Amino acid sequence: MTPFELEEPVLLGAALALLDPEDSSVRAIAGGTALMLMMKSGLYRPRRLVSLRKLAPALDGVRSAPDGGIEIGAMVRLSDLRRSAVVRAAAPVIAETLLTHSNVRVRNVATIGGNLAQGDPHMDLPPVLIALGASVRLAGPGGERIVRVEDLLTGYLETVIANNELITAVIVPPQTGWRTAYAKVTARSADDWPALGLAVSVRVEAGIARDARIAIGAATETAMRLPGTEALLAGRAIDDALLQEAGRAAAAEAPVVADHHGSASYKRVLVAVHLGRALRQTIAGAER
Amino acid sequence: MSDATRVSSGQIGRSLPRVEARAKVTGAAEYIHNLRLPGMLYGKICRSTVPHGRILRIDASAAAAIPGVHRIVTAEDIRTVIAEPYYGPAFHDQPILAEGKVRHVGEPVAVVLATDPHIAEEAAQAIVVEYAPLPAVFDEIEAMNSAAIVHDILKPAGTFPDLKHLAGRSGTNVALDFHLRRGDTERAFAAAEHIFEHSFRTQQVMHTPLEPHVSLADAADGGVTIHSATQTPSFVRIEIARLLGWPENRVRVKTAFLGGGFGAKVYVKLEALAVALSLLARRPVKLALTMEEQFFTISKHASTFRIKSAVDGHGHITARQCQVFYNGGAYADIGPRVAQKSGFTATGPYDIPNVAIDSYEIYTNRPPAGALRGFGVPQLVWAYESHTDLIARALGRDPVEFRRRNLLRDGAPQATGTVMRDAAISAVLDRLAARLAWDQPFDRGAGTLKRGRGLAIGFKASISPTTSVATVAIAADGSCILYCGTVDMGQGSTTAMAQIAAEALGIEAEAVRVVAPDTDVTPYDMGTLGSRSLFHMGNAVRLAAQDARDKLAALAAETGVPPGANLPISEQFRRKYGMQAGTIVGAGSYIPAYAPPDSATGLTPNATPFWMVGGAGAEVEIDTETGRVRVLRLVNVADAGTPINPGIVETQLTGAAIMQLGFTLFEEMQFTDGQLRNPSLAEYKIPGIRDMPDRIEAETVDSAQQSGPYGAKGVGETGTFAVSPAIANAIEDAVGVRISELPITAEAVYRALRRAAGDQLEDL
Ligand SMILES: Cc1cc2nc3c(=O)[nH]c(=O)nc-3n(C[C@H](O)[C@H](O)[C@H](O)COP(=O)(O)OP(=O)(O)OC[C@H]3O[C@@H](n4cnc5c(N)ncnc54)[C@H](O)[C@@H]3O)c2cc1C
Repeated sequence: MTPFELEEPVLLGAALALLDPEDSSVRAIAGGTALMLMMKSGLYRPRRLVSLRKLAPALDGVRSAPDGGIEIGAMVRLSDLRRSAVVRAAAPVIAETLLTHSNVRVRNVATIGGNLAQGDPHMDLPPVLIALGASVRLAGPGGERIVRVEDLLTGYLETVIANNELITAVIVPPQTGWRTAYAKVTARSADDWPALGLAVSVRVEAGIARDARIAIGAATETAMRLPGTEALLAGRAIDDALLQEAGRAAAAEAPVVADHHGSASYKRVLVAVHLGRALRQTIAGAER
Repeated sequence: MSDATRVSSGQIGRSLPRVEARAKVTGAAEYIHNLRLPGMLYGKICRSTVPHGRILRIDASAAAAIPGVHRIVTAEDIRTVIAEPYYGPAFHDQPILAEGKVRHVGEPVAVVLATDPHIAEEAAQAIVVEYAPLPAVFDEIEAMNSAAIVHDILKPAGTFPDLKHLAGRSGTNVALDFHLRRGDTERAFAAAEHIFEHSFRTQQVMHTPLEPHVSLADAADGGVTIHSATQTPSFVRIEIARLLGWPENRVRVKTAFLGGGFGAKVYVKLEALAVALSLLARRPVKLALTMEEQFFTISKHASTFRIKSAVDGHGHITARQCQVFYNGGAYADIGPRVAQKSGFTATGPYDIPNVAIDSYEIYTNRPPAGALRGFGVPQLVWAYESHTDLIARALGRDPVEFRRRNLLRDGAPQATGTVMRDAAISAVLDRLAARLAWDQPFDRGAGTLKRGRGLAIGFKASISPTTSVATVAIAADGSCILYCGTVDMGQGSTTAMAQIAAEALGIEAEAVRVVAPDTDVTPYDMGTLGSRSLFHMGNAVRLAAQDARDKLAALAAETGVPPGANLPISEQFRRKYGMQAGTIVGAGSYIPAYAPPDSATGLTPNATPFWMVGGAGAEVEIDTETGRVRVLRLVNVADAGTPINPGIVETQLTGAAIMQLGFTLFEEMQFTDGQLRNPSLAEYKIPGIRDMPDRIEAETVDSAQQSGPYGAKGVGETGTFAVSPAIANAIEDAVGVRISELPITAEAVYRALRRAAGDQLEDL
């Protein structure tokens, strides 16, 4: 590691001004759990790091929105998110996902903003947030824009966030009528990053899937929705035959790639099996 | 005073908590990683990026220009301080820095010395090395007949008579071939009722001690002190003295607690390089590897095992042929010994009259392989216990009954011809079957979750012949210091040795202080490896303590203390010296008897001082839709002789079994064209708490090693032996498919299920 500048601005405007639209060796640092690994391995050599630590008061906290949704500050640490009563009430799947996410040492410093900005396809939260229909607030020199999480991530370690933009919050819309389940499938140790992350949200009325949002991560180049499978489910009566059909459709639709965790054909099998299981779980929840 | 008249102070069989526990838990314990010396430089290694190639050019100009860089060192510089810079315990084949060519990815090529480790690292990355690639070979079977030759000429160390015939051999990748023949296998196969033949493979894995390798050398005043996280301080001293042409007494090797070893830190690893760097820089030099660098330093052999058995009409195994190929990587390390010693037991713990064993250590262009908790034996047990289960199933015999029928019993000769003694093989199998309630019905699961159970049993000959020496000093106040070179790397040896010394002296273990290995202070010991220490060093410690006790008795007699007077030791010293003065030193040296194998037949009447026996039973649950294996219960039963410290023995067995569980289910160094794809703990996964079986149990059977200290023998490796085949056997029991290659990933099981259903998973 070679020397670099470390800035710790207290105001968002100052932080944005310290970032450089053209120079990716200037970056924000939040929990540092992803960034420090890249720095240690020589993958990333910063010229300047802009710490968001002192901005935390403004970017912290989980709030209930008037519409019944929630807004999560970008600097909220994963362990706080896991414990948040607001989160547990509005979107319990987030808290459940964090139970098996990394480990307590990482969760105690890693932030939700850093998690999304990293653009790592092997993360657990992006598919969950996509299935919940979540968006992020992006602040830039020209003001604020709101981007859906599914549009945020564009490829392996790639996002639409400009060099001089920051995530300030994550917005989760109200989930009335929706049930969400997340399947984290590991191929090696149970303590591993996911080989496949599959998040399923459905709105069920009288045994009919009115609407579905299905998001896949880890097994694909980037977290994404599977619109074909969603369409197949919409308006159909839920039974074992449909779940199997949906599993097959998702396995065919998802652009699954091979990696350390396993071959593409095996991961397709995992998609088919776990889509059915996750759907069953959401429905069981809906009927409770 | 003879041992027989000694009064026990109750130290044996006592689960004394580890003496260093408090220091470790409070963070007070010292590790070499924390050590800094004034004026010290940090070295960072620039490593090969190709698996096999000629070095055309090393351009270090950019690196040297970085402020804070002290010096760049290459093989040429090493030669100015060490004339013949090649080392290794069996072969002198490993260059301190690559000379002319590289033989594996990650091989050290150059070193940056700097005052700051981060600068050293930055500079190491700035060194440009150009290579002309050479044909490379990675698979052990291909390497047997490959045009790609890893070493132009074999260079066995002169110290081993049985390696002499290999000297100067060229055009081969076979570093060592061991052959054993007993009986007439050909005739037995011709007469056999049934013949079974299978092939099994294991993958290359890493030791993963949580403290990576670290050595700090300080050459000054015509001598050198090496602070090193090593399991073999005496060996390091001798090997460094040989490299430098110095007497042993000018080389001092000191250790501290090791953060794990598992065989990764045996023989010379970083020490020769650190010494050369310190001699060149005339300053202390520290080399501390990262976790990532460990993958390129030492590993466990991948292997292929072809096994063939003849069985008669009564279910007796009449002959067995074993061909074992160990993938040694680019440097032999202790691999030739792994191939030979494990070769002794390749036919398994069975009474088989006709056996033929061929065991090979093979060079390839992978990172080197050495000893890892079992010395090749877990690879063997994986094959012969999978094979044994397959035979039992094919013959429609119960796996326990079939094993019992063929088991090797005390008094019978084993494959090498050595007659078995103090090996509780039957007892281990019986207790395993009892614990698993083998004769009771078993819940086989339902729906897509199928359950099965399996067991396996393995054994190992201890490395031999090896020596341990210990001294015990009794101070004038009666307190006791034990000087022994056994390295405590978490296995609890300090505690056990204190217990043995205390028992011999008739005092409490808490009253014994054990001095950490320091070759200027602690006497010779062959090394802390191969589960040898409790037996060998334990015997030496007992002898040393008995010697001290005899001298105390003589002192008592000399000062006129009547026998049985129970006078405090301090009072006896006072009587002799008139004040608190004097020391009594007891010495003990132990080397067991051994007979080397006959060079023609591989047979020997005395292959080992003791046998280690380990059995495992597993209950598993398979998700038939995904192939996921859950180990519900893992039972380990061992013959550890009479445990000195039952608490430590239990954690050794359990710890070893968990380590082997990782090697069984998912750990794997994955290569593409010799490039390691997963050299980090992010992509190389070791077991975590959520991988633990729901139930994990350990038991030692009633037994005593007559030649051991107070009936004890080694146990550090035993828990690894049988875990992998027990799990594979349980999987077949559950879902009817046989996995013959490690690791047993969910994908491997799933693919086997699909194959068995005649519906192979297509790769798109
Ligand atoms: C040992 C280990 C295990 C892990 N296991 C898992 C796992 O099981 N599942 C999983 O999903 N993840 C896992 N992770 C990844 C972990 O979730 C991420 O490292 C973490 O969420 C990143 O957050 P951070 O705050 O530390 O980001 P940082 O490292 O600080 O930053 C990451 C990136 O985001 C940028 N950034 C940070 N904050 C902002 C912001 N507000 N606006 C714009 N850009 C920003 C930074 O510039 C940087 O490029 C693991 C990580 C480790 C180290």
